[in-house]
Parts: sequence; structure tokens; C-alpha cells
Amino acid sequence: MSAGGGGGGAHAAIPQNNLIAFGVVGGLVFIYAAYFLVQIAGPYMSFLGALGAICGIVWGASAVRRVANYGLGTGVPSIGMLAIGIGIIATIFGLAVGGIIGPILAVIFASLIGLVVGFLGNKVLNMGIPIMVQSTTEIAAAGAITIVGLSTSMAGTFMFFDEVVNGLTVPGVATTVMEPGYIAVIFIMGALAILHPYNANLGPDEKQDRTLACAFEKGGIAMIITGIVATVTPLASGTVTIVVGVVIWYVAFSEYYKRVKRDAYMISGAGLLPSKEELE
Amino acid sequence: MEPLTGMGVLALMGAAATIAGASEDLESDVGSQSNPNSQVQLAPQMMYPHRIYNKAISGEPPSNALICAIGGTVATVLMVTGAAAILALIVGSFVAMLVHGTYSVTPYIGRSASQKRFKQPIYLDIIRSHTPVIMGFAFITTFCILVISYLMISALGHPFPLPLLAFIWGIAIGAIGSSTGDVHYGAEREFQNFEFGSGLNAANSGNIVRKAESGIRNGIDNSWFCAKFGGPATGLAFGMVVFLSGWITVVFDPSISDTLGWEAIIAGVVIVLILIAFNRKIEVDARKRYGPYKVDDEEVGA
Repeated sequence: MSAGGGGGGAHAAIPQNNLIAFGVVGGLVFIYAAYFLVQIAGPYMSFLGALGAICGIVWGASAVRRVANYGLGTGVPSIGMLAIGIGIIATIFGLAVGGIIGPILAVIFASLIGLVVGFLGNKVLNMGIPIMVQSTTEIAAAGAITIVGLSTSMAGTFMFFDEVVNGLTVPGVATTVMEPGYIAVIFIMGALAILHPYNANLGPDEKQDRTLACAFEKGGIAMIITGIVATVTPLASGTVTIVVGVVIWYVAFSEYYKRVKRDAYMISGAGLLPSKEELE
Repeated sequence: MEPLTGMGVLALMGAAATIAGASEDLESDVGSQSNPNSQVQLAPQMMYPHRIYNKAISGEPPSNALICAIGGTVATVLMVTGAAAILALIVGSFVAMLVHGTYSVTPYIGRSASQKRFKQPIYLDIIRSHTPVIMGFAFITTFCILVISYLMISALGHPFPLPLLAFIWGIAIGAIGSSTGDVHYGAEREFQNFEFGSGLNAANSGNIVRKAESGIRNGIDNSWFCAKFGGPATGLAFGMVVFLSGWITVVFDPSISDTLGWEAIIAGVVIVLILIAFNRKIEVDARKRYGPYKVDDEEVGA
């Protein structure tokens, strides 16, 4: 049943390797920029972390698109949830033991778990999808970048535990994000932002640029909610995050709708179903 | 806490859960989410283009977990700044509702655009009429779930933070809406023109009912049908889950003594056994009353 995708390799205008670079390099650069600039310039720079998360989201959505195009169908949400689950384990581990190299460690650890899970899925469960191993690795790493990015944007730091700097206690991710339960919203927002774009564009005439525009749009929503949380954390400032998030959401939604208009068979204000003659 | 106060809180939670269950199911029916969605998605491919909202947000549990977690997060942020709980819960539900609106529109236009070769049009009037309904139901669901979660924390002393508890209840209500409510939409409404109980022949896949009692059927017609039985049944199911799972620990409070904790577990097992026996009785009664499905002769031959 081709309702679940084209049943083969997905056609892509932007090669996946460019998107991998965009996700890894862009994501980590923004996360580190957020961490250092918050200390140098002030809490309002914390919005950069969410930009890093958007890089991860777009990369993850593209990886989901590639692997799900083999006809996963209802498996699209499952693979997204699986990946972000791996991402959250890797993030907690990486940030807790890594210190300043925490985000990099989280991405590496997520890739390793993703590699093993992909290998098990393909060889033990015999799913037989050619790019399964690579894609699971990619989605897990993208999930880790998304979670680290959103956490950094919420907390203003990616240090896991509280630190004492110049006699002042600086709360870490564990205190500001994990304890009040905001990690739940990071988990589900990140997961849906990664898996929803392809799921929302499922069908034989799906186009890469339309799916990725949707990923940017969902990333914008995640950024807005992150900004709302950042208004009550001491090291991060929410206003800039919310404003930038709204701008990204608006631009991305307009771009998405432009591509929908380009690709749709017909957009009608009201009307009847296509007639028998039209369908033939 | 006074046992009587506990029972009162529990009754309030059960009532909120019943409303949440009904609105959750109807919300998913307006947008054809969850299991019946596969047939809505398949229909244009089988030459049956339709005017039914195609809201695919990766199944009901994740999409309800999303709106409830967002509502819980925004409410927590507001309560940290000192806002009153009722205001915080309402604003949280409102933000969640807006997010749900965007999550509903993108799959409808995206999936329809991805079915260009099957000539599935995008109807803007469907977006305009259905999205507010979906958002309204999503608001009710989120608010009721937040009320349940908030009562659990503030009155029953649950140790989890609000966003996490709302997230868990969101998954729970999505799962119950999906398992209880979908049957009444998928099997009974989408394939109304086939004999009841005949199952879905592969040849009829995608051949969903597209014409309404008057005019062309859309998602709101479907939720009208489901509001008669599917929605309330889902509400009762979720209300019972919330009430009964809370009842055992309110009556046998494990925080008082370990013995009471074990009694709570025994009470839970007894409730499950009673429900199993009751379900069995309903099934046997229904089979006796309506008999087995009579297969056609040629089907038996084949």
C-alpha cells in the first residue's frame, strides 16, 4: 500500500549530507554560542539554544522522511518516539558526565545507541530497510541536539548540576528543567517536531522542501513554548526567544502554505467532489 | 486528609475525566485522527476523493500528550509568577489549543497536497469550519486534564510536577480515546453502507461513506454521529479509569500503613476481576442475542 510513502528511496533536492552538516554543526554551534554568550552578553542570548534545536529538528525531520519513505506508514510516529527516547537518555548521560563537552558527548552517545538500535531493527527484527542503521543513528543524534538545545534555551546553561560561581549558585539543567517537569514538554515537543513534518505530508506527492518548511514551523512552536518557560528561569530570558520563535513560525508557515499551493491538485473555497470524468 | 474530602476531590476528578474523555473522542472524530485516519488517507488513492478533515498528528496519545504537557507547562510558569491556579490552567489550555490548531491544519493541507495524483482537492471551507471545532474540543480536553492533574498534586499530594503529570494523563486519555472511541467512528460510521458486522473486505478498503444524509459528508457530520454514543462511552471509560484507580488509594490510604497499601492492591485486583467478568457476560449475551454473523454461501465455498 503506497499510502505509507513512495516505497523506495526518497527524492531530495537538498542532499542528506548537507542536512547532516546543518544539524550537527549548526546545532552544536548555536548551543555553545548560547552557553558562552549568556555568560558574556547576558541572559537574552539564551534564544540561540532554541535555534540550535531547530537545526536538529530539521535534520531529524529529513532523516525521518528518508527512512519512512520506505513505507513505514504508522511506524513514522514510532520511529520518532524511539529516537527522541534515545536522545533523552543520551542527553541526561552526556550532560551529567560531560561538563563543558556535555552536548558533544550527548550527540556521540545518542549516535552509538541509535547505531545499535538500527542494527537490531534491521538484522534481528529483519526490517530490511537499506538505510535503517544510518537513519536511526541520525534521528537519535538529532533528538539529542533538539533536547540539549531546548534545555539550554530554557535554563541558559547546559551544565547539568548547580554550580557556585563567585559565591552565587547557578542552577543547572537538573534544577531548572528536569525537576519542575519541563523535560516532559521538551520530550513531546521535540518528538512531534521531528516526526510530524513527514507524517503531515505523507503521500506519494510529498516534496522535501515542503516537509522541511513544516519542520521549521514546528521548530518555531517549540521555540515559543521554550521562551515561555525561560521567562521564569534566572539565567535565561524569554522575551527574545518568544519573539524570534513567533517570527520563525510565521515565516515558515507562510513558506509551507506557499509550497502547499504549489503542490496541491486544487485549492477551493468550497465545493463538490471531483466528478467521475475528472478522476479519469 | 479527611477521607470524605478525598472522596469529594475524587468525584470532581472523575467528572472532569468524563468530560475530557468525551471531548477528546469527538475532537479526534472531527479531524478523523487515529485508526480511522488510515481509511481517510487511503480513500483518494482508491478513487474516492472526500471532504473529510485529515488530521494526522501521529495518533491520539502523542497529540494529547503534547497539548496537555504544553498546557501544564504554561500553567506552571504562570503559577510560579504568582497567578491564581484557575487562571493559570485556563491560559495554559488556551496556549495548548492554539498549538493544536496549527498541528491540525498542517496535516490537512499537507496530506491533501501530497495526494495530487489522486486529485484530492484542499477545501478551505473545511479548514475554516472544522479547525475551530477541533480547537474548542482540544481546549476542553486540556483544561479537564489539567484540573485532574492539579487536584492530584494540590489535594491528593501527588509528588510529580504538573507538566509531567499532565503529560502522562495526556497519553492515557489519548490511548483510551483511541481504543474506546475509534470503534464507533471507524467501523460504524466510515463503513455504514456495508452490512453491520461483515468486517472489512480488502476490496472495500478506502470506500468510506462520503455522502451525508444531505450534501457531502464532512468531519462535523461524523462527530455528530459519534456524539450519540462513541464520545459519551469514551468519557465513561476514562472517568472510570480515573475514578477507580484513585478510589482504591483514597479508601485504603497506603500513606497510613503498609497493610492498607496491600489492601489497596487487593481492591484493585478485585475491581479488574469484576470488570473482566462483566465484559465476558456482555460479550456472551451479545453473541446469544444477535447470533454469529451469517456468511454468504459463495464466501464459504471460496
